[in-house]
Amino acid sequence: MFINWKLREINLKIVYYGPSLSGKTSSLEYIHSRTHPESRGELISLKTREDRTLYFDYMQFKMGEISGLKPRFNIYTVPGQVYYRGTRKLVLKGVDGIVFVADSQLNRLEENVDAIKDLYQDLEELGYVPREVPLVLQCNKRDLPDIVPIPTLKEQLGLNGVPTFESIAVDGEGVLDGLKTIVNSVVTKARGKINPSPVSLGEQSD
Amino acid sequence: MKQGLHIPEELLNQIEYILAHLAEKAHTDSIVLADISGQVISQQGIMDEGTPDVVAALAAGDVAAMSELSKRIGENDPHGSFFHEGESKSIYLHNIAGSFILIVIFRAETPIGLVRLFAKRAVEQLLTITEEFEEAMGPVTTFIPDDFSTGVTQALEDIFPDD
Repeated sequence: MFINWKLREINLKIVYYGPSLSGKTSSLEYIHSRTHPESRGELISLKTREDRTLYFDYMQFKMGEISGLKPRFNIYTVPGQVYYRGTRKLVLKGVDGIVFVADSQLNRLEENVDAIKDLYQDLEELGYVPREVPLVLQCNKRDLPDIVPIPTLKEQLGLNGVPTFESIAVDGEGVLDGLKTIVNSVVTKARGKINPSPVSLGEQSD
Repeated sequence: MKQGLHIPEELLNQIEYILAHLAEKAHTDSIVLADISGQVISQQGIMDEGTPDVVAALAAGDVAAMSELSKRIGENDPHGSFFHEGESKSIYLHNIAGSFILIVIFRAETPIGLVRLFAKRAVEQLLTITEEFEEAMGPVTTFIPDDFSTGVTQALEDIFPDD
C-alpha cells in the first residue's frame, strides 16, 4: 500500500497467484475487458513466444474520490511455471491481497499444493506473516471433467475458512466475485479491521 | 521492505523539487520515482495518463531481474544502475537503496554521462529524503476514513455491475 497525501491517492496491490495454466492471465484479461475504459489502464502482458506469462501481466483500475481518497488498484499475475519462482517473489513485493487461482482438475492437485507452499514461503521471505495477508481462493476450470470437489481442494491447500469461488475464467464466470471480495478484504485490512471470513455471494461452505 | 508507505505532502514537495532540478539540468524527457514494488511516488514531465504506472511496474521487474543477475556474478550493490539505449529515447534506471527506483527517460541526443551525473546527485538527495520516510511513518490505518470501505464496496458494484 502506498498513500500519496499530495494527490490523495491510495495505491493497493493485488496479485493473482497459482500454478501454471491455472487461469490467472485469463482472469485478468476478463477483468480488463469488463472494466470501463475510463476506469482502467492498459493491460500489459510480458509473454514468451509460446504465449506463456514470462514476467507478469499488469493492469490498474481506479475509482473516483471516496471519503477524500482516490483508490487505485494495481493488479498483477505471476508466471506459474516452476522455474519462474524468482519472478513470482518479486511480483509479490508490496502485495496487499492475493487471489490464489487453483486448477480444479484432479491431475493438477499436486501443482496447486506446491504453489501454495511456494506462496507462503515467498511471503515469509518478504517479511509477511502469510496467514495475515488477505487471500481469496478461486477454483478455476469448474466446467472440466475430473475435477476435485471444493471441500477437498480447500483441505488439501490448507485454505479452509478462506473465501472461495468457483470459476470458469475463459468465460469470466466467478472471476469478478473473487475480485470484489479481495478488494473489499484488502480495504478492510487497510482500515485495520481484519475480517477473517468475509461473507459473499457465491462463497462455498466448508 | 516496507509493507505500507505513506508520504506526507511536504516530503513529496521536496521530491518534486529534486526531480525537477534533475529534469532541468540533464535535459530529460520525463522522470518517475517508484517504490521497489512498482508503485509511482512522483513524476516529472508529460506522460499519457496511466503511462507512469506502467513504466513503474515494468521498471520494478527490470530492477529486480538485474539485481538477481548481479548477484549471480558476485555483485550485491543495492545502488546499482543500468540503462537502455534506444534509437530516439533511452531509459536510465537507478536502484535507490533497494527500496526505490529512479527512472529517467531522455532523448538519444542527450549524453548519457550528463544524465548519469545529475541522476547520481539526485539519488544522493533522495536517499536523505527516503530516510525521513521512516521517521514520518506511523500506522497507516489511522489515516483512512471510517466510511472508506463502504464507499469502495459501492464503487466496485458501479464498476462491475452484476450480470
